[in-house]
Amino acid sequence: MSISDPIENGLKGGWLHIDASTLQVSRHFEADVVIVGTGAGGGVAADILTQAGLKVIMIEAGALKSSKDFDMEERTAYPNLYQQAASMKTADKGISIFQGRTVGGATTINWTTSIRTPEPTLDFWAKEKSVVGLDTQSLAPWFDTMEQQLNISTWLYEPNRNNGALLEGCNKLGWQSTVIKRNVKGCWNTGYCGMGCPVNAKQSMLVTTIPSALDAGAQLISRAKVMQIEHSEGKVTGLKAQVVNTNFEPRGTTLTFSAKHYILSAGAIHTPALLMRSNTPDPFELLGRTFLHPSLLSGGIYDEQIKGHSGAPQSIYSDEFVWRDGASGDLGYKLEVAPVHPVLVASKTLGYGQSHAELMKNFNRMQVVIALIRDGFNEQCPGGQVRLTDSGFALDYPLTDGFWQGAKRAFLSMAELQFAAGAKQVRPMTEGLPQLNSWAEAKAEIETADLGLLRTVVASAHVMGGCPMGEDRLISMVNSEGSSHYLENLSVMDGSVFPTSLGANPQLSIYALVARNASLLAQRLKPVVG
Amino acid sequence: MQRRTFLTGAFVGTAALALGVNLYPNKVEAPAEDLYSRLLFSVLVPVFLDGMLPEVAKPREIVINRTLDAISEAIKVLPSEQQQELAELLGQLESRLGLLLLSGSVTPLIMRQPQQLISMLESWRFHYLQLLQTAYLGLRELVMASYYACPEHWGGIGYAKPSFLLK
Ligand SMILES: Cc1cc2nc3c(=O)[nH]c(=O)nc-3n(C[C@H](O)[C@H](O)[C@H](O)COP(=O)(O)OP(=O)(O)OC[C@H]3O[C@@H](n4cnc5c(N)ncnc54)[C@H](O)[C@@H]3O)c2cc1C
Repeated sequence: MSISDPIENGLKGGWLHIDASTLQVSRHFEADVVIVGTGAGGGVAADILTQAGLKVIMIEAGALKSSKDFDMEERTAYPNLYQQAASMKTADKGISIFQGRTVGGATTINWTTSIRTPEPTLDFWAKEKSVVGLDTQSLAPWFDTMEQQLNISTWLYEPNRNNGALLEGCNKLGWQSTVIKRNVKGCWNTGYCGMGCPVNAKQSMLVTTIPSALDAGAQLISRAKVMQIEHSEGKVTGLKAQVVNTNFEPRGTTLTFSAKHYILSAGAIHTPALLMRSNTPDPFELLGRTFLHPSLLSGGIYDEQIKGHSGAPQSIYSDEFVWRDGASGDLGYKLEVAPVHPVLVASKTLGYGQSHAELMKNFNRMQVVIALIRDGFNEQCPGGQVRLTDSGFALDYPLTDGFWQGAKRAFLSMAELQFAAGAKQVRPMTEGLPQLNSWAEAKAEIETADLGLLRTVVASAHVMGGCPMGEDRLISMVNSEGSSHYLENLSVMDGSVFPTSLGANPQLSIYALVARNASLLAQRLKPVVG
Repeated sequence: MQRRTFLTGAFVGTAALALGVNLYPNKVEAPAEDLYSRLLFSVLVPVFLDGMLPEVAKPREIVINRTLDAISEAIKVLPSEQQQELAELLGQLESRLGLLLLSGSVTPLIMRQPQQLISMLESWRFHYLQLLQTAYLGLRELVMASYYACPEHWGGIGYAKPSFLLK
């Protein structure tokens, strides 16, 4: 069956794309707007600004891949499409972090769950974080627009059993549950979103906004990593990028860029790290405060076949516990499921030898619930801090007592849910617990379990924050429209502007916010160039 | 700037100081091509993957070799900082002193019985020192990810990728 490949077609049709790894000599580029990063933020910004008639260059550290490269294997996907070959961790190795490094950023590999920014989060930002103009009402048109553009709608198919068990558990226990909206068009329901969509059904930036921008004349430079923002007297004067080879190592060739306006969309962690490395003003040392939705995992073994690798990875969530104690109260957590693929599961479970082999032999009967802890709303879980190192950056993310208390509640909820859904055994992914055979047993064991750093598996695919927005300079780096407080021709348009985590999967929040802010910027820039 | 590396734990540092030796070789080669690290993994892989490896000698050897190749491949795509950390750990496990500090014995790992290796891994796994737990987790993740990355090994868990795109 042949799949139409928009990237291949676009390149044949004359898109302006340079794979920088092929460049032998240093070069200089000029545009109206230069955008660093092509993920959820960069993709949307590039499209809107190009359509507004501006000359746009997108610079991306990752490579340009297309559906023909997506072979549905983790061994190909992780090194090609993920930051640090999917082995990225916090400095103390306590949290595994998944982030994209490819054209389309994390949207190329994400699981398609699309959720509007929760109202309690927007209220919290307005009250506590000096964010203005972003409430449910004012954002609604932007959500509508992006939902339409990216084919975001409720997943009408039956959930796979992995998600089905989440739904069943919620129904049995009377807990809240929601059918997820997904950004897909003609989805084959195979379950390999995390390795890049092989049939171009996922409406990621790779097949939507980026082709649209390129069709309209934008330029894409892939495998070029921006290392330096040059600035003087309150203005950005240029960017410097390193060409990387196919292994993403610097090749010694330098590219320079100048533009009227610069947009950072390198994502949480990389946007703040770039600003820090470039010594841009940060008088209140706000850069790099990162949130992760640190997530706990619970495996359930059922009598029936679950086949959690097959079918839409996420189609049901439960918000029963997210806001239970209010935004700034005890840590809440969102319940979702994770797709079950061999490398992901083998490495994020416990033990080795016979016990691990037994778990893996039950692979198709395994159901995995995840609890995403809402971090950044209070001192129980204040988030992490990016710091620069000789060779790059490190993220310190102390897991506090408050976090572990939240984690314990989350393990209890997940076990209760899984037993209610018919699990025969539940294995919370933390060392030292026996195999749990009933909810009563689980309750007793989890309540006294000794959770802690490295003993408990903690992972995250939601990196947010690091360059917070707001009007008060004491607590924000960019204003509520994404413009830098300090450098007049610099904007930040990605997940790094969130002043806390969201309490929901981030992509749609980034799409809508960036659509708004890029449109406002286009209005501001157009007269200058027009 | 101080080197932030895998083994900059107080434990190893202090012990090395007490013994008057420098634990860190100045330059550690990346282990990917290193014969010793392959040998080292060849004794660890059967312990980590006990229960997933064939019992019969020849097929067992094939699976172990395939996994060792996959480990080399996996190391190559790790960022250089992580390669460096791993190289340091493997270097320690190679040196008599490092081995003594990490495992309480100078017997090379390749001469140990599986039960002794299990004891070592278990002591790291539940150790109060984070650096030993990290050693356990790092090796565990590398071996597990490498083994399960190979489509040849999916039969045992009943996993196969969809065939609709196969040429
Ligand atoms: C496995 C996985 C599953 C996920 N599932 C979901 C989901 O179902 N729903 C959801 O809402 N969210 C999901 N997410 C998260 C979501 O995809 C991200 O929150 C979102 O894409 C972030 O957008 P961004 O623009 O901030 O950054 P990114 O999408 O991460 O894009 C940043 C880009 O910038 C590039 N870059 C970084 N530094 C530089 C530099 N110096 N020079 C040049 N380029 C640079 C990176 O390579 C990257 O491509 C998932 C993420 C992952 C990893």
